[in-house]
Order: sequence, then structure tokens, then C-alpha cells
Amino acid sequence: MTISPSITSPERRPIRLVGLLPWLFAAAVVGYAMVVGGYAATVVSFALIYAVFVTGLNLFMGFAAQVSFGQNAFAAIGGYMSAVLTASHGWGPLPAMVLGIAAAVLAAAIVGFPALRLKGHYLAMGTLAIGLITYEITVEWQSVTQGYMGISGIPPFGIGPWEVTSDRGQLVLLSLVVAACTFAAGRIRRSRFGRALSAVAGSEEAATALGIAVARYKLVAFLLSAGFAALAGSLFVHIVGYVSPEVFGLHMVIVTFTMLYVGGIGTVAGPLVGALIVSLLPETFRAFKDYQDLAYGAALILLLIYAPRGLASLFAPRGRS
Amino acid sequence: MKQTLLATGLAASLALAGAMPASAQEPYKIGVSAGLTGYAATVDRAWRDGVELAAAAVNAKGGVMGRKIQVVVEDNRSEPQEAVTVYRKMLSSDKVDVFVSGCVSAGNFAAAGLLLRAKVPMMLCSILPTQAEHLPWAFTTLPPAGFEIDKRLEYLKEKTQIRKIAVLHDPTPYANLQKSVAERNAAKYGLEVVSVDQYKQDDADLSVQVSKARSAGAGAILKIGLGGTTLTAAKNIKQLGADMLLLTSLEDLAVFGPVSEVLGDKFFFVASPSQVYEALPEGALKTGIKAFLDPWREKYRDRDPNWASRGWDGVMLTVAAIEKAKSFEGEKVRAAYEELSGFQGTTGIYNFRPDLHQGITENPFVLATIEGGKVKVVQ
Amino acid sequence: MSFAVAAKTQARVASPMAGVTPPILAATGLSARYGHIHALHGVDLRIGEGELVAVLGPNGAGKSTLLRAIMGLSANSGEVRFRDEVLPRHDAVAVAARGLVLVPEGRGLFAPMSVSDNLELGAYRLRDKAEFNRRRERVLTLFPRLKERLGQAAGSMSGGEQQMLALGRALMAGPKLLLLDEPSLGLAPRVTGEILETLGLLNREGLAIVLVEQKAPLALELASRVYLLSLGRIVAELDPRDITSHDDLAQHYFA
Repeated sequence: MTISPSITSPERRPIRLVGLLPWLFAAAVVGYAMVVGGYAATVVSFALIYAVFVTGLNLFMGFAAQVSFGQNAFAAIGGYMSAVLTASHGWGPLPAMVLGIAAAVLAAAIVGFPALRLKGHYLAMGTLAIGLITYEITVEWQSVTQGYMGISGIPPFGIGPWEVTSDRGQLVLLSLVVAACTFAAGRIRRSRFGRALSAVAGSEEAATALGIAVARYKLVAFLLSAGFAALAGSLFVHIVGYVSPEVFGLHMVIVTFTMLYVGGIGTVAGPLVGALIVSLLPETFRAFKDYQDLAYGAALILLLIYAPRGLASLFAPRGRS
Repeated sequence: MKQTLLATGLAASLALAGAMPASAQEPYKIGVSAGLTGYAATVDRAWRDGVELAAAAVNAKGGVMGRKIQVVVEDNRSEPQEAVTVYRKMLSSDKVDVFVSGCVSAGNFAAAGLLLRAKVPMMLCSILPTQAEHLPWAFTTLPPAGFEIDKRLEYLKEKTQIRKIAVLHDPTPYANLQKSVAERNAAKYGLEVVSVDQYKQDDADLSVQVSKARSAGAGAILKIGLGGTTLTAAKNIKQLGADMLLLTSLEDLAVFGPVSEVLGDKFFFVASPSQVYEALPEGALKTGIKAFLDPWREKYRDRDPNWASRGWDGVMLTVAAIEKAKSFEGEKVRAAYEELSGFQGTTGIYNFRPDLHQGITENPFVLATIEGGKVKVVQ
Repeated sequence: MSFAVAAKTQARVASPMAGVTPPILAATGLSARYGHIHALHGVDLRIGEGELVAVLGPNGAGKSTLLRAIMGLSANSGEVRFRDEVLPRHDAVAVAARGLVLVPEGRGLFAPMSVSDNLELGAYRLRDKAEFNRRRERVLTLFPRLKERLGQAAGSMSGGEQQMLALGRALMAGPKLLLLDEPSLGLAPRVTGEILETLGLLNREGLAIVLVEQKAPLALELASRVYLLSLGRIVAELDPRDITSHDDLAQHYFA
């Protein structure tokens, strides 16, 4: 046998055009919303905020193959920190957001140490509890959160006197944030840390035996995804200008899981594609009135039949095995 | 690729939905953001039906100032972010002229900023937004939170020897408002609130709260909040053998039958005039209710008319405002709402003022009980 | 258990210094639990530098548990010394850092990932690019078939190829002591022969190996010493040359 000095590995194929399709789709949807504005802009703005959240969820669930039903807790921490600090204490949106993310990551660290010792169903139940407890706190701690009344008068993003209030301004801002988050996820995927997460996802024991500190990487992935969730929560309250407990309820868990699986768990483009599709689908079917949910459900089932590993996986450069 | 086609199709159909051209001669559009699904479903479906019934009645008489009314209803799933989406949809795609929206207060609060910017007023089922800048564009058909409370306190003072009461409430904004009114107003009626407890809408047992109220010496429980918990509270009172009256909030009449079977003459409830129509004396109010109740009963028979009647009022107030303003313009309709006074609705007389966007100023409620299967007004 | 394996006859590679070389690994009183079951009872074990030792035993004897206990993967007590240094007991990452590499039961490949990525993860602890390339080329030379399949998902390959990848990935870690858990499991005899041949080669180059097997004849050909494990205890330590017939072995198994 001969050993060629430069190993050209067959996996380094040139980027195929088909791999760009998810990005083109996302760009087309955002571009369309930018042109039309109004209702389409609102729907797409929310989709982009969800994309940030789901990108984080994907780090933990897709890259590291763990389960968390409680990421809404961190979105709530980020969102409420932003809301309370800006609306009630006159802070600027940016420092409030930074503090909110820090608080969410801290909270994730506190619950993550014990929770990540749990596996499978137990981890899922543990994180679900975290989400429910946080929801209860947002309802009950009325002196700070104003309970179901919610907090209004949250200022929009801005630097100094320049505030992002227009639909298009918000879309541009959110697109930049999503682009940054997705880029970060792509970098993480290809990094040493990302490969370690893949190993953890593959087999925790085999990864441990190879000297990969499984517990530490799981925790870091959990903290990162909490940070993304908090960022999404904070973006939401500044874009809408209002927050109440229902925003970060169980509904959010269900919607974001749907987005993750429809888009393609474990892929880089999946969260964005999933967030856009799952946000657009029900709106497309709005004309069906009472049958809207039925049509939406049917569409989801079809998607999962024809793209069981998510839409983005259809365009993944690496062929399906 | 099949999947790509699907995705393109989705995008295309969304584009189509958004780009529908507006025709020149349009009906006057009333938007309704309602929680047709989710926790507000019962109330908001009734509200929507009341709005649609009113629109049909106005259209049957030729519409308002020559224009027919078209009602656009969107389901906000009782969620604030969905509410923002549907408000946005109705503003930019349907181009509605006014909103007569349902009881999901968080949803109406979340959208208040949008309406301010679009200069479209809203007449609500829910409480008013708290943000000062949002207030000029929001109006409500809801009687002040205190009225439901006052009616109960009044009865206890005048018709019973009970001087110590307990308050049991759920965590919704409206219930919280009422709770603070109860605490504030009790003294005015010579009553003392000896215990205040919160419960959740899905609690299956309230015996802790009930026994706490009893041991605090309360002779009556003011329950504030909707749903199956009323029956739960009644059962707990009976199980504990507590000698207490249960006075509950305004609610769908259908809920009260079983409660009355448990507690008999120790059970009272606040009712709106349309719920006790038969027991009302002849007069303007009864005539006002009749206009609504006749078509309602024809279509829905025994279904509870309470929330629907306020939805009806919402539309009729809007029609009155348009006719007063002689304009369909948002800004002018908004100003005309503020001038509507002495308007006889189904829930009472509305007297709006620029500084008062909650039009019901006189307590329209009655206190009732069920005797031999019949609703009887006691106060 | 099956002894009916037609193994290639091959020069015995057992070191003449078997049991005489200084130990690379010495376990004393090693006990381990697997769940609630005590699977190992005070096992004493010694592996010499550059030695290939086989651990034989029937299904359920505790062979996998022994390897996991050495790695620090299972709850265990007792002492394991690696080159005269006591290994931490419950910290597999630290044990791996010393150069012990386990190819676990079922191979533990990252099935959805490519062959190339699996190899790369084997050298996860290595940050030296040149050394990485050197090891990678070495592995691909040893297993040319992996080279043809670098971009393929590990899970989509045949059993033999997967075992080669598992071994290749372990070699990427630069092991000083290789712990192999039944590499022949589920493989055709010819493929097993190929893999064992490679193990022999590695051993001749000085790599110490602990080979756990159910199929005795294959292991006997390579090993310089054999431990027999039964119900969590070492029941015999043998020189493979003393085992003249399969009956000898069977006696020990059922003793």
C-alpha cells in the first residue's frame, strides 16, 4: 500500500449549492418581510427571536444530545430582567440585557450542577420542573413581576437617542443577531469543543474513556443554551414592549421543540429554518379559521414523514448514510 | 426536490395572503382579538358571538352611516405574543378600523402600543392597559372591579349579621384588582376582612383556604375568580361543615346549578342584568337588554348571555360613536367614544368621559341566589 | 462457548520474559459493583511492560467489569497502580490522561459521525498537529480500509470495519496500555484473524495489551499469559504453552 503525503479526505467535498438552500430560504423570508412590513414583519420578527432560542436549545439537545424542557426558565429570567431593569428602574436596554443573560447563565450553573447528573427521563423531568417553578415565580412575585398584569412600557432597543422602533429596523437588528448566533453555532460545531459535544452525544462512556470530560462539556453546553435563551427572552420584551408570564410558559417549550425537530436537530441551519417554518405555517393557514390547527397539525405530520430528521438535514452537505 | 417546492409554496402563499389588494368600497371593519382557544375560550367565544350578533343586527338595519359592518375575528390563543401577531395582522392585512376585543387583558396590553401608533381605538372586554400613553386609545365595557365586590358587601351589611369576611381569589389581574377593592372597601360597609388567600384556577382542593377562613372567624367567603373552583370551594365548605356563606363573582350561570345543590341557601352570586332579565322591573334597562336578548335566545337559546351582551354593547357603542362623530376615522371615533354618555346598554348605562374610559359608572349588578331551580334576586 | 475456531497458526509472540518484566499495571484487591450486583471480588492482576495478557472467562464472569474498573468507569474499590502510580478510582478522564485506552464492549463508536471524525476524537487530548498527522497516517497504514471510508458514517460500516475503526481510534489516543473488550465479538473468523494479527504486530512493537475474550483459542495464540476469570474472581493464571488441549481449559472454567 502507498501512503500519499497529502491525505485528501473524501469528506471535504466542495460546498454544494444545495447546502445553501436553507440560508437562501431564510434570506428570502426575511427579505420579503422587510419589503412588505406590517403583519409579515411581526411574524418574521417573532420567528427570528425564536431562532435565537432554538439555536441555543440545539447546542444542548442537538450537539450534545441532552434533553431540557426548561429552557423557557432562562428566557423568562432574561426577559424579566430586561423588563424590570428598564421599565421599573430606568436602565438602558443593553446593560439590562447583559445582566439578564448573566443572571440566566448563573441560574443555569446553579441548577446545572445537580441536574446534569441526571440522565434521560430524569434530566427531562428535572428541567421541566425548573421551567414550571420559574413560571410560578413570575406569576407569584407580584411586587417585582406584577404577576399576570405584566410589565408594560419596556423601551425598544437603542443606543442613546437612536431607538429601533420601526418594523424594518427591528428586522435588521434581529437578522444581525440571528446571523451572529448561527455563525457562532457553526463555529462551535466545528471547534474542538463541538467535536467533544458530538462525542458526548454519541456515547458518554466512550467519550469519557477517550479522556473527554463529559460532565464539564455538558454543563458548558447547558450554560451556553441558557445564555441564548436569555438573549431571546430579552429581545422579545424589547421588541414587544410588554411581558407577562404566559410569554415564557409551557407553550414556548412546545413551540421551540417543534421548531427544533422540524428544522433539523443537530444541524446548524435547522433552528433558523424550523423557527421560520413553524412560525409561518399557522399564519399561512389562518384563513382556514377553525381548521387552522388541523391544517397546521397535518402539515407538521407531513414534514416529519418526509423529512424525519428535519428540513435542514435534507440540504446537509454530508450525504445521508 | 419535493421539499424545496413545499417550502417555496409556503413562502408564496404567505406572500399572497399579505398582498391582498384592498377594494375601494369597503365595509367598516371591526377587529376582534379573542382567546377562542386557551384559558379565555369560554368567555371570549361568547364575546365574539355577541359582537357578531350586534354586527348582523346593525347590518339588517342598513349598517352604520351607509356602510355595512364586517367583523374580523382572530384567535389569540389567550397568549400575549399571539395577540400581538393577530392585532398586527388585522391592522396591516385586514386594515380594520376599530377593535372590539376580548377578555385576554395581557394580549390587549401587549398590543396597546401598536394601536397607539396606528391610531386605531379599541373597545375592550378586559381591563384597561396600565401604561398612561396607551390609555387614550383604549376603552372598556367592563364595570369597575369594585362593583362586583360592593354588591356583595352591601348585601352582607344590610341583610345579614355577618361582620367578618374572608377573600379567596385567583392570581389574574382582574381578581387581584377586586381583592384590593375588597380590602379597601370592607370597612365602609362595617365589615372586616379577616383572611385573604390565593388559589390557582386548576386547584382541585381549597379546604386549606376554607378552614383558614373559618378559623379566622369569617362568616362569609367572597370568592373572586372563574371556573370549576367555585364548586370545589362549595364542596370543601360542606365537607368541613363550616357555617359560612359563599358569595361568588360574575360567572356563567351554568356553573351555579351544581354549586347551589351543594350549598343551597348559603350560596349567592353576582349577576349582570342580562342574566336575570325575567326578574328585572320594566324600564330602559330591560328594553335595552331585550333588543339583544331576543336575537340571542333565538340563536343560542339558554346559553349564558353575560359576556355576549357586553360584546353587543361594544359594537353598539362604536356605532353610536361613529354616528356622533359623523366620521369613520380612528382619531374622530376615539374622541366620540369619550363623549358618549347616558348610553343605555345591556349591562347598564355607559357614561364615558375624556378622563374616564371605563363607561359603566353605576353599579348594574344584582346579587342572586337559586331557589327551587329558579334564579332569585336578593339585592 | 465455542472453541471451534480455525485460527491461523502463527509464531507465538509471547515474551520469554513473561511475568518477569516490571509491571505496567498492577491491580490488588480490585472489587467492583455493576448496579447492585457485585461483579468483581478482590481481583489481583499484573501486566508486564510490553506484555499481551488475555483474560478469559464465560459470559457474565465480570470481564467487562474488570476493564471498566481499571478505567475508573464503574464503582469500584481496591488499588490499581500504573507504572507505580496509584490511579484515581472514579475519574476515567484522569485515567485516560495517563495513557490507558479502553475499546469498550460494543466498540463505543460515534455512529453518526464520519470515520475521520471518530479518529480525530480518539486524539482529542492531543494538541500537537504534527504528532496528530503522524498517528493518523500510522492508523490508516495499519487499516487501509479505513482510508477508503474516511467520509462515511461509522455506523454504516461492516462489523469488521467498525472494529478496525474502534482500534484505530484507540491508537489515535497514543495508548501506553490498551484494554480491549472482546474485539472478535460478532465478526467472521477471517476478519477476526486480521484484527488479531494487527494486535500481534502492535504488541511486538512494545504496546502492552489486555485482551478480554470469550473465544479462547484466538487469544491463546497471542497472549504470553492468561488469566481465567469466573464469577468475578481470578480462578487461574496460566502459561498458554501449558494448555495443551481445550479440555484443560474447560476444566478450569468449570472448576
